Amino acid sequence: MKYESLKKCLYFLSVLWLLGLNACKHDDLHIDKANDNFRPGFDFVKNNYDLSLFASAIEKTGIGPELNGAGQFTILAPSNAAFNIIGINRPSDFDKMNPDTLKFLVQRHILNERIMLKDIPFNGIDVRYRTLAGTELYASIVSRDNSNTLYFNGSLASRKDVTLANGTLHVLDRVMKSTANTTVQGWLSARPEYSILVSGLKKFGFWDELATEGPYTILAPKNKEFEANGMTAEVIAGLNVNSYIGDRLFGCYVMRKKHFFVSDFVVFSIINNDSFYYHPVANDTYIMTITAGRFNYDNIYDQSIGYNIEVRTNKNFPYDIVTNVKGHDQKAIDNLTDNGLVQDLQGILILPEQAIKSN
Amino acid sequence: MLLSRMKNVIFYAAIALSCFAIGCSKVEYKKIDDPAYLRVFNNLNYKIGIDNKDEQLPFLTMLIDPEMDQNGMPVSAQIKGDFLDKRDPYAPPYPSHIGSGTSVNNPEYPGRENVLVGPVLNGFDLSSWAQIPSGKHRIVFMFRPKNTVPFFNLDPKLKKSFLIDTTMVLDSKEVYTLHVLQKDFLTKRNGIYLRKENFHKLPLSDSSIYVNFYNMSAKGYWQADNDAKGGNEYGKGAMGNGVKDQMNIFVTLYKNRTVSSPKISGYNGKYLGNLTRNADVLEVSPYYSFPLFADASAGGIFTDMWQRFDFLAPGMDIRNIPYGPTVNQTDGNWASINCLTPYPDYRQWNEIVMPNMIVNIHSGKYNPRSFATVNTIEIVNGNVYLSTIQRKYAPPVY
Repeated sequence: MKYESLKKCLYFLSVLWLLGLNACKHDDLHIDKANDNFRPGFDFVKNNYDLSLFASAIEKTGIGPELNGAGQFTILAPSNAAFNIIGINRPSDFDKMNPDTLKFLVQRHILNERIMLKDIPFNGIDVRYRTLAGTELYASIVSRDNSNTLYFNGSLASRKDVTLANGTLHVLDRVMKSTANTTVQGWLSARPEYSILVSGLKKFGFWDELATEGPYTILAPKNKEFEANGMTAEVIAGLNVNSYIGDRLFGCYVMRKKHFFVSDFVVFSIINNDSFYYHPVANDTYIMTITAGRFNYDNIYDQSIGYNIEVRTNKNFPYDIVTNVKGHDQKAIDNLTDNGLVQDLQGILILPEQAIKSN
Repeated sequence: MLLSRMKNVIFYAAIALSCFAIGCSKVEYKKIDDPAYLRVFNNLNYKIGIDNKDEQLPFLTMLIDPEMDQNGMPVSAQIKGDFLDKRDPYAPPYPSHIGSGTSVNNPEYPGRENVLVGPVLNGFDLSSWAQIPSGKHRIVFMFRPKNTVPFFNLDPKLKKSFLIDTTMVLDSKEVYTLHVLQKDFLTKRNGIYLRKENFHKLPLSDSSIYVNFYNMSAKGYWQADNDAKGGNEYGKGAMGNGVKDQMNIFVTLYKNRTVSSPKISGYNGKYLGNLTRNADVLEVSPYYSFPLFADASAGGIFTDMWQRFDFLAPGMDIRNIPYGPTVNQTDGNWASINCLTPYPDYRQWNEIVMPNMIVNIHSGKYNPRSFATVNTIEIVNGNVYLSTIQRKYAPPVY
């Protein structure tokens, strides 16, 4: 009897010991299986009603099969509302576009690497990537209260990290505007609606530098803004260069060594609490105060951002506020070129009589 | 009887077996022969804003003796100091970073890094200095994005921004501090500054507090526009806009921490010496001293004394400063540092407030007891950094 229980005890001990030995072995029972439920890039876009315009753009350019193929992609898909902003409301509108331009537009919204939110450095500004079109893509990300705000070339990513079988997808609420192989000078001269600004820049000697490396940020009022303030092409042509402070009158539209997306002001107001940016007018006491942010508070879904410029006679008190102008036109801001950006401005900053030389 | 003995035997055998099973790991002690002692600070304190958004974020990785691939990109290194953040204003006399907090950001090297550190050398605790093999080293500082990914796991295109790639020679058993600095404010040229410390070789008395000063600001910092350099920020004091390249230093000692605290006679605006801006020459500045018990009435065990240092441009008189105590725009003529202050809302004054240079701690049967320290005050582009080095003291008796 005694020995019986002892034997039992020994028996269990050895079993326990064997179990103990076995416990050290960790067979990896988890098997990674490809998830069949995720769609590849083009299929996902095609099956999403809100991305139907982008899907038809991809279809027209014929890179759909490539996007369904292997390899990692990041698709920055502008929503239908984003295309509506630039005047594309139905798939047939793409037919009016030059096929090469359309292909370039699609390709610069696609990257052949997978960029998820976590891959972009925290609070990174202008983290650069390369698109299929060969252009540079600037990503800026800012975090506040555990929510990340991500911009690509100034366009807000309203949906982030959508899983694809072959990469990831972010939904943009604005089409990224960029033009290949052009400078801010080339961009402006190709658009007749900015001809008065161009003539003014030429007249006061700011034009030629705009073809150089830069970078430049050009604040660009359209002709109608100049005309509304009496600065027609004839008036500009008749101005005597020597009696005006050129740096103030037209120099204020040229920001040298700067390349700003409107979203940059939003990003820095969160990272640094720098809600105001003071940009001195070259060779002058005048200063421009730039702020940016949402402007349409009536519609909570409208996350569009725009900027405001206040021109002051001096940075510190006492100063006079000369003008206060906004740039809210979503289809005309953040125009990226190879040597900077053009930001449309809905008003003019300085009137000729505010820039007359006093002696 | 027999059964219970057998049971006991089996029980103990099981314990012995499990002891064997656990006891197999062998502890490998790391040892560095002929070490030099190195402490590294990232003094780049600029802010990335709209105006300078193309500049690199001052968040670094230090690589000592790195291995590069054929494209010149580092792939490994003998010693890596990752996540090197802007330094803290105060470097306390004990290693305060390791094991505190969950962030990977390191305000100094070794800081949070788990590496071999220095011993107590001639009575000075070098546990904030890392042991580095002496000899010639290639040292590389890389800019890196601010995230928690270790440097070598970063995306290749984020591993390409070199701050500096140079060599340095470290002598055996010598104590070094290495600073990453901006050398020129206008060109934004960065560089490093290696200082061979000598405090452990000097005959310093333990009844005096020692302090030396460096102005390692970039060339052209104090002359630059106050708004351009962000010097007018609330809380940066007059120092935020920088001080001139030549300054006189004065010390004032205060008896205790009351608003009406009396100044200690003999140390009311006492001239200490001259401070020259220098971000290149690797010389140790002279140590100035004042007694730990300058306040004779304190009793010799504990003192409440605190210190104030005024920096005045040559020709200016400390008795007749032409600026008010809240004026930050002094044209680089006057700035001050308080090591402690009686004012709770001290940020409204134009001085920078640092911790006291005196270490007050329970030692022996006294709680607290005051100890003298050896200090370094470094002024870099409108910021002030105080490093305190401490001597050994007796453990507390309860």
